[in-house]
Amino acid sequence: MPSDTIAHAVGVPLHGGDVRAPADVFNSIFEVFLVLGTVVGIVVVAYTMYHAIKYRDSGSTDDPYADTVERPQLGEKPTGGTGGRKVFYSFGISAVIVVSLIAWTYTTLLYIENGPDESQAAIDAIEIEVEGFQFGWNFVYPNGHETNSLVVPQDRVIKLQVTSLDVFHNFGIPELRVKTDALPGQYTSAWFTASETGEYTAKCYELCGTGHSLMVTSVEVVPQSEYDEWYADTQSSGNGTSGNVTAAIDAGATTAVGGAPA
Amino acid sequence: MPTTSSLQIGADDLAFPRLNALSYWLYLFSGILVGVSFFQGSTFAGGWTMYAPLNTPAYIPGEGLGATSVVLALIMFTAAVTMGSVNFLTTMYRMRAEGLRMRDIPIFSLSINLTVWMMLFAFAALLAALMILASDHVIGTTYFQFANDGSTLGTSAENPGASLLWAHLFWFFGHPEVYIVFFPALGAMAEIFQTFTGRRLVGRKWFIISMVLVAIQSFIVWMHHMFLTGINLPIKTIFMATTIGISLPFDLMVFSLIYTMAKGRVRFKTPFLFSLGALLLFILGGITGVFLGAIVLDYQFRGTYWVVAHFHYVMFGGATALIGGLYYWYPKMTGKMYDEFLGKVHFATFFVGFNLLYFPMFIAWETPRRVFEYPADLQIWHNLSTVGGFILGASMLVMFYNLFVSIWRGEDAGESPWKYASTAEWAVGSPPKLENFPGLPSYASGSLEFLDDEEVAERTGKPPGAGVAADGGTASDGGTARNIRAVTAPATPTAAAHETGGEGHASHASFWPFLVSLGGFIAFLGLSGVRTGSPVYVGMAAVGGLATVGSLVGMTRESFHAPEMAIAERWPFEGVEKMKLGMWTFLASDVVLFGGFIGSYAFVRVAYGWSDWHHDLIPAEHVTMPGLINTYLLLTSSFLVVLAMVAAKREWRGATTASLAGTFALGVGFLVNKGIEWNHLFHIHSEMFPNGWTLSTNIGSSTFYLTTGLHGAHVVVGLVICGYMTIRAWNGAYQGDDKPIEYFGLYWHFVDIVWLFLFPLFYIL
Amino acid sequence: MDWKGYTLIYVVLFVFATIQAVVEFVGLVDSAYWLAFGIIMVLSVVKAVGVAAYYQHLISEPRSVTYMILGGTLGAIALTGAAAYSIV
Ligand SMILES: [Cu+2]
Ligand SMILES: [Cu+2]
Repeated sequence: MPSDTIAHAVGVPLHGGDVRAPADVFNSIFEVFLVLGTVVGIVVVAYTMYHAIKYRDSGSTDDPYADTVERPQLGEKPTGGTGGRKVFYSFGISAVIVVSLIAWTYTTLLYIENGPDESQAAIDAIEIEVEGFQFGWNFVYPNGHETNSLVVPQDRVIKLQVTSLDVFHNFGIPELRVKTDALPGQYTSAWFTASETGEYTAKCYELCGTGHSLMVTSVEVVPQSEYDEWYADTQSSGNGTSGNVTAAIDAGATTAVGGAPA
Repeated sequence: MPTTSSLQIGADDLAFPRLNALSYWLYLFSGILVGVSFFQGSTFAGGWTMYAPLNTPAYIPGEGLGATSVVLALIMFTAAVTMGSVNFLTTMYRMRAEGLRMRDIPIFSLSINLTVWMMLFAFAALLAALMILASDHVIGTTYFQFANDGSTLGTSAENPGASLLWAHLFWFFGHPEVYIVFFPALGAMAEIFQTFTGRRLVGRKWFIISMVLVAIQSFIVWMHHMFLTGINLPIKTIFMATTIGISLPFDLMVFSLIYTMAKGRVRFKTPFLFSLGALLLFILGGITGVFLGAIVLDYQFRGTYWVVAHFHYVMFGGATALIGGLYYWYPKMTGKMYDEFLGKVHFATFFVGFNLLYFPMFIAWETPRRVFEYPADLQIWHNLSTVGGFILGASMLVMFYNLFVSIWRGEDAGESPWKYASTAEWAVGSPPKLENFPGLPSYASGSLEFLDDEEVAERTGKPPGAGVAADGGTASDGGTARNIRAVTAPATPTAAAHETGGEGHASHASFWPFLVSLGGFIAFLGLSGVRTGSPVYVGMAAVGGLATVGSLVGMTRESFHAPEMAIAERWPFEGVEKMKLGMWTFLASDVVLFGGFIGSYAFVRVAYGWSDWHHDLIPAEHVTMPGLINTYLLLTSSFLVVLAMVAAKREWRGATTASLAGTFALGVGFLVNKGIEWNHLFHIHSEMFPNGWTLSTNIGSSTFYLTTGLHGAHVVVGLVICGYMTIRAWNGAYQGDDKPIEYFGLYWHFVDIVWLFLFPLFYIL
Repeated sequence: MDWKGYTLIYVVLFVFATIQAVVEFVGLVDSAYWLAFGIIMVLSVVKAVGVAAYYQHLISEPRSVTYMILGGTLGAIALTGAAAYSIV
């Protein structure tokens, strides 16, 4: 658990806007895949249909390829037909495309997994604990403040530590391209930044019982100054200490959070 | 399908007809039990993945008995599948027509063969998962519960691996299951392509190698369903690589099918239309699957319609080929032709409906799965999908009408209505006769022939109709291409069938399999409610249990002989007679069953903290000695079984009986010792465990009791057989024929071997 | 195999089981856990192979029977190993 990254209030200006957002990463890769996928799809389907139509049986009694290929006979011991070389060439091309595409995305996977790199480590990330329950979400801020909907500042790296208080859920904010499973007894992590202020929606992406469809909540992205104001307000009403939360994360155990809705 | 396949390989029946009946009845009753579950308050409602802990009673509203029934029904179903797999593999390896090497069998049969291999192992893992889940439901173990105090909120990290454990077990089964569904379709597609293009499958050898690779690799890709669960980066990388690896053989198979059309004489009959359609759908499914292989994209597709659309293109695409297969083999099954025009109408509406239903889902992919709400701007796509769904459904009505009416109105199909059809099923009448073939099929000359009784007798050196006591497999012809085996039981199947009016088939009428399944059904229905303490449920469990055991004994006592083929291709299991091969195949699946249990133990222990486990969860009273004593007892009993074999071979009746009786006594001693130990642990009063150390105390006790309990149940089954054999030995059986003792020994030694691992894992380490 | 061979195997199995328990009784499990773990598991594997090879006569069956059982075993090991590794 990267609890050492909970280093808030270091006084460095906020540069979440310089960080390449997960949403951006996803969109650019998805675009490439869509274009290539469409092209490959059209080519292969057309190629298939070309073969089907070109070699259709014209109904004539004599076989136009009688001298080059042998036709299957009833009761013969099964064997292969001629022309296997072409299969290999085509297979080779497709294998190269697939493998290189996936390999290309691997570096971005490392980026998504590890978060913004060292040079950006000074970025003042906010670490928020997310607890799923049947059927809603509980967010615990570093000062111990708890809410059922998320408020985050614009252009800042938000790190999530996600768990569940009961069954298997999945926390996702589709527009911001952040998603991770919420399992009881375990923490998973995810991060995002939002460059646009506004209302977003967080949803549950794993069937978790009768109220699964209703397990949505709002995610409000506000300017930094507005967030600071809001956060300062929560300080006074905070009902826990950040120490407790980090300790719990360190221990890898779920805390029995007072006031968690049952 | 199995019928087609056994025709293709030249087998005249399944290896174990009664086992086939048993697996059928179990399958039927498992369906009935699911039906009954709806009337027990509510049925299981946790989705097909049944994720933990939503699948445990703590999170199931009401009493949850219906959910328990479903879990038990699935166990029954899985048992049926396992029996079917053992039976089918034995058939394929013992009853192939002479001259058909494994690589020579038709592609459809090969796809079935690989499917069954995957079933054998994958369903064993599912059985482990379901048995553990059932035990959480019925007897109160806590494998899948994170909090062991029964509260719905996690209050302490008693079992942090709970939720992930299910995901691992389920997907270890779940991914091979995808191919289990898809492979027969692939085989049918290849078969239909060959017939309707008039070309042999291009690159057949590589097609086969690809299929074998996929079947093997299917067991090492399961974590691609779990990329967001917090598994570590190295394992994600490994599973990303294996997943890409498994997609490549499919590329090859697709191109092989495409090139099979080249220089062909392609006829667009209904079966081919469906197969070609399936190929196109599969191409789309494959391309959209590559998207999922890129983990960064996969993260966002998780739980969305992208996944739904993708797997329907693949899986329902497979079903499309199977519909083609239905049209293709319909004339063989019924002897009548379907109506070609209606078939084409069916295909056109089906294909349009299919794409209208599933393609818009790619466009509306942001829709989360299993919710009834979605963004308003996606509505048009969902509307289109709905229309497509109705068209697709309606198209199937055309097929049902066509196939139903054609039984009366269709033209006679003859032996083969298809030009260029080459496989053996087209060489016999439609529908095939009960004995499948007019003689013993053989490919020894390079193409299919049927040997009559005289030829068979001449080749095997046995006069027709001469009975030989046990299976042959004695001739050691090792390297020769053809295997002419000594005849088993009544000389030749054909001869025997003439004499007894088809004895091998008449045996399907045995009513014991039905009674065993009925008993199992009643027992499981009872088990679903025993935790309520209701006398009705407890009574049903007891009565059903007794009925099952009773009818199993009845089934054993019933004299029964399914003849083996006189001459057959048996590579790579020459010399392993039918019963023995069946037993080994069953044991191979049992290895995976115990592997699932031991793997679960290792997993939850690692999740808890391997070294803290012993200190935190296990009482000091749990000592090594009882385990060591039981190890000695089992080892000695194994030794006695081999001595019984030696005695039987030398026809020492007394020694045979004494050895078997000794085995029985030692097995009983094992159980008694275990009983004393458990009783002690249940009732300890220590500071750590003031209320005893029972099944529900913690995950440590749960794993201990359930894993050793499953082993104990195996011992009980062994003892029933051993007791029966002891009595028979006393009455003079097995003298000079140690085979039955050997078969029992295979099982008993296996149980011994399992204990060799349980002892250190649960008593020492 | 005759009864003498079977007896020899039996004695070896018996001794190995005893060694496993002795490893614990002398306190090796407490002092050097992973060493003890290694010794004990290796002994279990050797015992299992012994029983399978000589009591179940795998040694005289076609090798394919062994491969079939090994296939199941490998599957079980893959499940156990990869699942456990995924969370460490
Ligand atoms: Cu949900
Ligand atoms: Cu999969």
